[in-house]
Amino acid sequence: MKNKKILKIISKTLFYLLLLLILIEMIFPFYWAINSSFKTEAQLMMTPATMIPRDPDTLKLSITLQNFKAVWHNEDFVRGLGNSAIVSLTVTLLSLCFGSFAAFAFGKLRFRFKNASLYVILAMTMFPQVSVLTGLYVVIRTLNISAIPGMIFTYLLFTLPFTVWVLTNFFKGLPDSLLQAAQVDGATPFQSFYRILLPLTAPALVTTGLLAFIQAWNEYLFALTFTSFEPTARTVPVVLALFSGEVAYQQPFGEIMAAAIIVTLPLLVLVFIFQKKIVEGLTSGAVKG
Amino acid sequence: MKKQNGKHSKLMKSEKKLAYLLLTPTFLILTVIAFYPLASVFVTSMTDRAFASSEEHGFVGLQNYKKLLGLTVKELPQQVDEETGEKRYDDETGRPVYERAIRILPRTPIRYKEVSQFGLFGKRYVIGATDREFIRAVSDTLGFTVISVVLETILGMMVALILNTNFKGRGIMRAVMLVPWAIPTAVSSRIWEWMFSSSRIGFFNVIFQKLGWSDGQFAFITNPSSQLWAMVSIDVWKTIPFMALLILAGLQMIPGEMYEAARVDGAGKIRQFFSLTLPFLRPILAVALIFRTLDALRVFDLFQIILAQKRYSMASFTYYQLIDNQAMGYSSASSVIIFMIILIFTVFYIKMAGGVENEK
Repeated sequence: MKNKKILKIISKTLFYLLLLLILIEMIFPFYWAINSSFKTEAQLMMTPATMIPRDPDTLKLSITLQNFKAVWHNEDFVRGLGNSAIVSLTVTLLSLCFGSFAAFAFGKLRFRFKNASLYVILAMTMFPQVSVLTGLYVVIRTLNISAIPGMIFTYLLFTLPFTVWVLTNFFKGLPDSLLQAAQVDGATPFQSFYRILLPLTAPALVTTGLLAFIQAWNEYLFALTFTSFEPTARTVPVVLALFSGEVAYQQPFGEIMAAAIIVTLPLLVLVFIFQKKIVEGLTSGAVKG
Repeated sequence: MKKQNGKHSKLMKSEKKLAYLLLTPTFLILTVIAFYPLASVFVTSMTDRAFASSEEHGFVGLQNYKKLLGLTVKELPQQVDEETGEKRYDDETGRPVYERAIRILPRTPIRYKEVSQFGLFGKRYVIGATDREFIRAVSDTLGFTVISVVLETILGMMVALILNTNFKGRGIMRAVMLVPWAIPTAVSSRIWEWMFSSSRIGFFNVIFQKLGWSDGQFAFITNPSSQLWAMVSIDVWKTIPFMALLILAGLQMIPGEMYEAARVDGAGKIRQFFSLTLPFLRPILAVALIFRTLDALRVFDLFQIILAQKRYSMASFTYYQLIDNQAMGYSSASSVIIFMIILIFTVFYIKMAGGVENEK
């Protein structure tokens, strides 16, 4: 009896140790970025690197905010934040708008070629962006579209199909009787769509909107390519990837880490608030599909 | 009766009209940003078009593809001593000395460069390619994909199984899991690049030295033997949460009674896993695997940011051909090849998903 109890305690301890290990593995790189962002140039060059910012001589804890200040006064970075916000928000709104239109049609209306076109959308969710990179680059350069509208427009390539797919599943789940009742009351199908069904899809709109926003905020390939001839339009991931110091050979990793944290924080806040919704959104496509 | 029918079909007609109207923006946008560029990439891939050049570009047929994919395997003969006419052996090791690859590989019409050598049945062979960089990019990307997807699946499964038990703080754990996933890849690439620094200012060199694995000066990023492993470790770190969450969703759909039944039958934990959990998870694992495979095949951010032109993935090769060389025809051809590779995987996926559906 007593042995069993001890065994239980041991296995529980092991279990929590394992959990702790996973936890550390997940957040350690982010912790390392925080740690480095509070170090001065001299502290960053200490060998071996310290787990917390320490003074090189006394080895006492010593934290500096100079990296954050420098980043905050870095024009490119601040402009990048603005660009990223404009691009991501517009992309999110556009894909929710067009996406809910299409999803309503797919979920609740009857028309020809419905299944075929839905399959096209599903296939598009797996479309490799890089395969149209050259083609889009030509379109954008020959039409002389500037980089920001160019990014907004092309990001729909990966946000729109996903939004349509997830919202269609959601619309399908709403009872048909709602639509019929509205029609009996004399509402046109479109009226019943935006007065009755759309408000009901609010939770799904939040989920897909969040995922679209995060995808757009994190996008790098198109951003790098389309801003190559317009550096002022760079979004934050591009600015961060190209971040270089005043001395050409030395990368200012303290500042890069500070910038990394500033870029990531809004995302982490979103993730923690909407954790359940994001997990739902991530898994809904796969579990149902 | 007739009148009602008429009314009904009228309603149907207006419903159809509305549907097409609502679908127009989506399909119009997808036409402009996906279908049209894809078609133009196919066409451009058969030209020698370059952006900056003022020269007229011409149709070159499949020449770009030939150059990208040109591969040959040649046997390396043993070197023969010119004076004695005898086969040469290394003085120290006694091993045969082979002819240099550069003298064996064809030079016209396009020069082949050595990719690697291998021995088979006592003979020595050399693999030559007309575009060594691209062939390496393809094999590196495929290697990267296989290794990282396998590791992610196994580790993701382990994490999911652990999270599937009831314990305090499960909610927090699930939230924390989203951290690596939410950090933009460009950002995590910079963070890992810094952790991989080539001296003990970098985290990994500190650890490796403490463990006695290196002298603390290991260049993870510039050393060809560790480059791909560095990429894999970042990708695995970033993607375990996604895998774990998908598998967790699948695990939670398994009815608890089934485990009880298994326990009554005397099946142990391991037996339960292989004969109950795994078959149940098969469809969701298939989906997760393919999603990840397609994602890994088009990997770009990691390679471009950390390795730049030291080593390419298929996507970063395409990017550098386009932006640095302005070689539109050539980069289009490489885009098409990527598209085809991914298409093959996608068709495979649809077949597999269909198979799973039929089994149900």
